[in-house]
Amino acid sequence: MSSERAAGPAIRAVDLAKRFGELSAVDDVSFDLAPSRIYGLLGPNGSGKTTLIRLLTGLAQPTAGHAEVLGVPMPSRANLAHIGYMTQSDGIYPALSAWENVRFFAAAYGVRGAEPVRQALDVVQLGERANSISGTLSGGQRRRLSLACALVHRPPVLFLDEPTVGIDPLLRVQFWGYFRELAANGTTIIVSSHVMDEADRCDELMFVRSGRVIASGSGDAIRDQAGTADLEQAFLRLGESTEANR
Amino acid sequence: MSPLRLGALFRRVVAEIRRDRPSLALLFIAPVLVTGLLTFILREGGAPAVDAVLVNGMGAAGTAITSTLRSAFEADGGSLREVANEATASQALRDDTASVAVVLPSAPAGQPTIRVITYGLDLSGDANQLAAVQRALIGSFAGVGGVALPRIEHDTLFGTPSDDPMASFAPAMVGFFTYFFVYLLTGVSFLRERTGGTLERLMATPVTRAEIVIGYTLGFVLFAVLQVAVLLAWVLGEVTVPAIGPLPEFSLGLGVATAGSPLLAFAVVLMLALGAVSLGIFLSTFARTELQIIQFIPLVLVPQFLLSGVIFPVSSLPEVIQPFVKIMPLNYAVDGLRQVFVRGADLTVSELQVDLLVLAGVAVFFATIASLTIRRDVA
Repeated sequence: MSSERAAGPAIRAVDLAKRFGELSAVDDVSFDLAPSRIYGLLGPNGSGKTTLIRLLTGLAQPTAGHAEVLGVPMPSRANLAHIGYMTQSDGIYPALSAWENVRFFAAAYGVRGAEPVRQALDVVQLGERANSISGTLSGGQRRRLSLACALVHRPPVLFLDEPTVGIDPLLRVQFWGYFRELAANGTTIIVSSHVMDEADRCDELMFVRSGRVIASGSGDAIRDQAGTADLEQAFLRLGESTEANR
Repeated sequence: MSPLRLGALFRRVVAEIRRDRPSLALLFIAPVLVTGLLTFILREGGAPAVDAVLVNGMGAAGTAITSTLRSAFEADGGSLREVANEATASQALRDDTASVAVVLPSAPAGQPTIRVITYGLDLSGDANQLAAVQRALIGSFAGVGGVALPRIEHDTLFGTPSDDPMASFAPAMVGFFTYFFVYLLTGVSFLRERTGGTLERLMATPVTRAEIVIGYTLGFVLFAVLQVAVLLAWVLGEVTVPAIGPLPEFSLGLGVATAGSPLLAFAVVLMLALGAVSLGIFLSTFARTELQIIQFIPLVLVPQFLLSGVIFPVSSLPEVIQPFVKIMPLNYAVDGLRQVFVRGADLTVSELQVDLLVLAGVAVFFATIASLTIRRDVA
């Protein structure tokens, strides 16, 4: 990441909106996210988290507003080389080995050589299963492989769409360990989740409901704002007050 | 056996299919369309009118026969014109200004032998022409006094008249099965890419749509190349395995004769396969399940099977269908393969050049629209 880029926000949304007919999936969302931090995008299923990530990565065209990543307006094909994206589904090729999957995505990002592939597999502790056919891996191992595919090009910005869904508590702890290590090394991470107990692992949170960001800030700031000691209660209370003010 | 469980299974199957609207539509529309098309071809098609050129070597007797023949052909919507010699008659066949040439002998001593010359690339189409000419000739000779009923000798402009039905069916078979399997393999694979989340992920990398289509095409064409090589070896080759112990001698391969280069036949099928890859990618846009990819077969492949000379000669198809024949890629592949197999055509033959150019154009066209179906907005 260039120094000019590092000076500005890593990710910016300006009046971002996405409509599917009558349904407003993302509704007038604006924010600036500083680099090297972990941001939690929290909200129930169907609240618009995935659509927001797709708008930020340029995979979907906004109905209004625009997004920037590392100072570059999205969509930008060239800028995708600086972005990692772990989809909600595993998004890996089950007939290929773990090594072949990571090597394939490395090539798609323009990364050559075996070393980045080996490192990405080592980060997610799949080095010993490199030659295993992905379809034979356990659910947790497939999620780890999916993460390795998103990390292989060492992107400065990483979007993780529900990365911990369906994985056991031990692996979840490991995942958050990876995320923290990546952020410490300069990666900006957006993690979407509908599990509130993951919220406190993030540096900052954005509560999403019906396509709108209804609250943002640190976990403590949101708890204070809602007047509760519990983030789940805070989400419900802030959601109710937003509905009442509409 | 539990009625509760049976009822639950029955309701589940009905509910699932009822909500799969494309499958439901295809379940009823596809058989209606296919059987309708087939019936139309069988009822409205048939032996085409004979447009003959005739070389009269029989003098006055021949003039009377010519006149009767002309009346017979014209009564069925055809025509007959006299030409000076066999070379002119052959040129008329070559130029497609005549569908058959009739040569009356110069010395009809005893039973005359009449040569009927057809184009030769499509044996079943030729058989229709030959049968019509035979009927008319026998009627003509019966009406002319003092001339014995003729013996009719069939000759072809290209290839040789053959009793082996595979001689003209094999090229069609090679083309059709390559098209069918390459389409199926690509359609299903790309559908998995779309529904498995890998295309979404791939589109989040700097990869371009053109790179995806070309990369896919290269991958599948490799297998198409292997498939065509095996199929051509099987169709053209014949290896006799000697008797081993109690096992009698037997042959492997169909042993179909080819007058042209197998490499050129290979090139024709490869062009067809390139188009099939892009067609598979394009149609996967409209499918949500692998079942739906299969359900496109009656809509996309069966009409080509019926209208490209695989079973029915193109010349025997109803007039109203002929414009559709011109837009069927398989038609050009079948013709190109027959040009190579039967005629022995090389790249200097204009008909083969046209076939290859059209197939290349179709491949480029479908590759272009296939790449347009791969958008960043893939979900």
